[in-house]
Amino acid sequence: MTDGRWRAWIDERFPLDDVLESLRHKRVPHHRYSIWYYFGGMTLFLFLIQVGTGALLLLYYRPSATEAYESVQFIVSRVPFGWLVRSIHAWAANLMVASAFAHLFSVLFLHAYRRPRELTWISGFLLLLLTLGFGFTGYLLPWNEVSFFATRVGTDIAATVPVVGEGLLRFLRGGDDVTGATLTRLFGFHVAVLPAVATALVAFHLLLVQRHGMSVPPSIEQRAADPGTVRSIPFLPHFLLRDLFAWTAVLAALAALATFFPWELGAKADPFAPAPAGIRPEWYFLWAFETLKHVPPTVAGLSGEVVAVAAMGLGALAALLLPLLAGESPRARSVVVWAGAAALLFLSVMTGLALRAAAP
Amino acid sequence: MTHAEEPARRGVLNWLLGLWGGGVLASIVYPVARYLAPPDIPEAAALSTNAGSAQALAPNSGRVVPFGARPAIVIRTPAGELRAFSATCTHLDCTVQYRPDLQRIWCACHNGEYDLNGRNVAGPPPRPLDPYDANVTGDEIVITRRA
Amino acid sequence: MTTVRWCDGAMVRRCARQCVVQRCALVACLLLAADARAQTTADAAAAAFKDDVHAAAGLACSACHRSAAAGMYDAPARTATAPLCATCHGDAAYMRKFDPQLRVDQFAQYRTSGHGKRMEAGDGRVATCNDCHGAHGVRRVRDARSPVAPLNVVATCGRCHGDAARMALFGRQATAPEEWSASVHAAALVKRGDTSAPTCVSCHGSHGATPPGVASVANVCAQCHLREAELFRASPKRDIFEALGQAECLVCHGNHRIESPPDSWVGVQEGAVCTQCHDATGDSGAAIVDIRRRLDGLQAALSAADAILTRAEHAGMLVDEGRLALQTAREHQVQSRALVHAFAAAPFAKTADEGLAAARRAHEAGEAAMRELQVRRQGLGVATLLVLAFLVTLWAKIRRLPPA
Repeated sequence: MTDGRWRAWIDERFPLDDVLESLRHKRVPHHRYSIWYYFGGMTLFLFLIQVGTGALLLLYYRPSATEAYESVQFIVSRVPFGWLVRSIHAWAANLMVASAFAHLFSVLFLHAYRRPRELTWISGFLLLLLTLGFGFTGYLLPWNEVSFFATRVGTDIAATVPVVGEGLLRFLRGGDDVTGATLTRLFGFHVAVLPAVATALVAFHLLLVQRHGMSVPPSIEQRAADPGTVRSIPFLPHFLLRDLFAWTAVLAALAALATFFPWELGAKADPFAPAPAGIRPEWYFLWAFETLKHVPPTVAGLSGEVVAVAAMGLGALAALLLPLLAGESPRARSVVVWAGAAALLFLSVMTGLALRAAAP
Repeated sequence: MTHAEEPARRGVLNWLLGLWGGGVLASIVYPVARYLAPPDIPEAAALSTNAGSAQALAPNSGRVVPFGARPAIVIRTPAGELRAFSATCTHLDCTVQYRPDLQRIWCACHNGEYDLNGRNVAGPPPRPLDPYDANVTGDEIVITRRA
Repeated sequence: MTTVRWCDGAMVRRCARQCVVQRCALVACLLLAADARAQTTADAAAAAFKDDVHAAAGLACSACHRSAAAGMYDAPARTATAPLCATCHGDAAYMRKFDPQLRVDQFAQYRTSGHGKRMEAGDGRVATCNDCHGAHGVRRVRDARSPVAPLNVVATCGRCHGDAARMALFGRQATAPEEWSASVHAAALVKRGDTSAPTCVSCHGSHGATPPGVASVANVCAQCHLREAELFRASPKRDIFEALGQAECLVCHGNHRIESPPDSWVGVQEGAVCTQCHDATGDSGAAIVDIRRRLDGLQAALSAADAILTRAEHAGMLVDEGRLALQTAREHQVQSRALVHAFAAAPFAKTADEGLAAARRAHEAGEAAMRELQVRRQGLGVATLLVLAFLVTLWAKIRRLPPA
């Protein structure tokens, strides 16, 4: 049989059968929280969409202050389906951030970071930071008015970091101010540095997931008479088909969003124009933006902004090292749940406040 | 339902799944293929545009050409030099034109005049015209926006 | 010869006291009571003079207060002011020392003005140099703080010409400044900051201020509105208006309150300016109706094109080509409105038709964008149906998978 011959040919050179065999035996726990298992795969799917549409945009995009805006305008107005590709790239970026956050909080609340999945959590958290980095660096690339001023404000925050702030600011901007140099720099990060790091981290993250399998939440484990007897379904085809279902649905939603709410291009950035009213960052940075607005000018003799940035940095560090900080006891787990809930509440309230301030 | 019907039904299901899946794939592949095919206008006229034949532009004459969404004017001075400017009058956004009798760039709306360097020299215009670079490749005048 | 280069406050006060001493005792007593006020006036004059263009040129009080050497600092008589200023400002050789470009014809012009003629006849109530330029704080005209700078000159003229009681003495109306404030010219100057926009002096002159004569109105307006003036002069209207003694542009546009002329001015119905002479009868009536119809048609086409382009833009479409065509149409509208001044149907119709064609192109671009939007939505509809069918089948498939 031809099929068999091909399989044999490949198997001799690449252990395809082993991979398929292990996948065939892979099982995914099935319980009332299993829906949260899909957000990791969803984030990965959206990442792949970003890679695909990003590569397509690269065919026409030009990373320079004089041409960036015009090239994006060209993409959305002259290139067939350019409007679709650009809008999907912009919308999928937002959905990806949302999906990554959902994944993070579900893992947190279901305690999936526990031993031996500490490295999975850490790599995952780093991937979330990378996702935000993608968002920040990609935002400036159309070189329009809002993105220009939002980048100026966003990079300003970097300057408040003690000691290295000034250097960090100059590093991000490629100079003292946001200019064409910043654009090429952020472009480089967005299409080369970040994707390279992200791909490696995704591979590592997936390898670990593969190695350890899906974590079963402690509450489910306890309810099951014997920890080994939690109900599960095969990865192939049961879980994968459900994944496929969710991916296809999201793809349709993306197409609809891109068609009915095309991502606005706005006016070209003019570095010498005064900042227009209502400049604000992307929604996933709003909480930080709002927090900085509310801190008093000085806290305990230090600049309030510095204190806030330091606190956010410490918070992020604590979140990164969560599996190492949190113990195994049920008590420690409830502390994690409360801390996670508090963080979620803080992020939601701050984002809500910022959105309310922005609404006319 | 008998056991004989079950595999047949599954066969139909798989066939349908393949059909619709193919349709979904096609609706992804089609836009991507169209996107990849080079568009009619190969690049954005952001920085430069073709302004027609250099030969055809006699000394002491001018020509208005579209440059992006706005007009530009390319003139040949009586001395034979090519110059290009934004053709949008700085007074009220009318399109300016070349007046051979005045040897000036002239706006018909309120009699604004600009000299051959684009400076506002008479009438209401408050500012000079934005200058562009005009070069000739072959016989084609190429107007370039200064970065 | 000793010259006093600066009059500081103390010195001016001293001069003022000397004036007082030289008068008889009784008057001195009365005046001493007013000394405080005299001092403030003197102080104010001294302070203002520090910033005076004449002080900067090195002139002292005595340059104008000719009897200063004798301690007399009386203000020159109003009728003597202009001749006094002219002793320097009419002397080309003298003025050249300060600024070779300065004009020296102001007094000669002033003598031809309404103000100058009355003043020369001994009527001191009319304006003279210091009424507009100030006395002790004279600044260059191009200094924005000068009372005769473009943004200030209307208020300066308006101090008298907007004062009904004062103008009543001369049997004149005091409405001009207020009327001007409602004009397009005022809007250009005040709102857009276009300092080349016409103020009082642009049409009336400054030193030679006088209303332009009937025949010279078109010349005055043509300083900026050359195209309209050229068309008007070449039209049969010019001779007709001249024969009737009508003041050209003013017949339709009025004088101080120049408004943006609406298309409805053209026509034979009520509110149209043509009805001053024309009615619907005859060739002229038909021509007027035809011009109005084309003006309205062009405006309607422009509005419709703008509306559809805006709709397309709001839906996220880029319609640059449509906008460019709309811009062209707008220009043709501006030009066709100018061509109304040719008072002939043919040249007007050509430009108006070109504008209409451009507006149609813009409209078509907008329609094409809306069609494209429709196509996109239909495409999305087809794709969504396919996805839905796929999802339903997939779900059925998942439900039918063998139990785990």
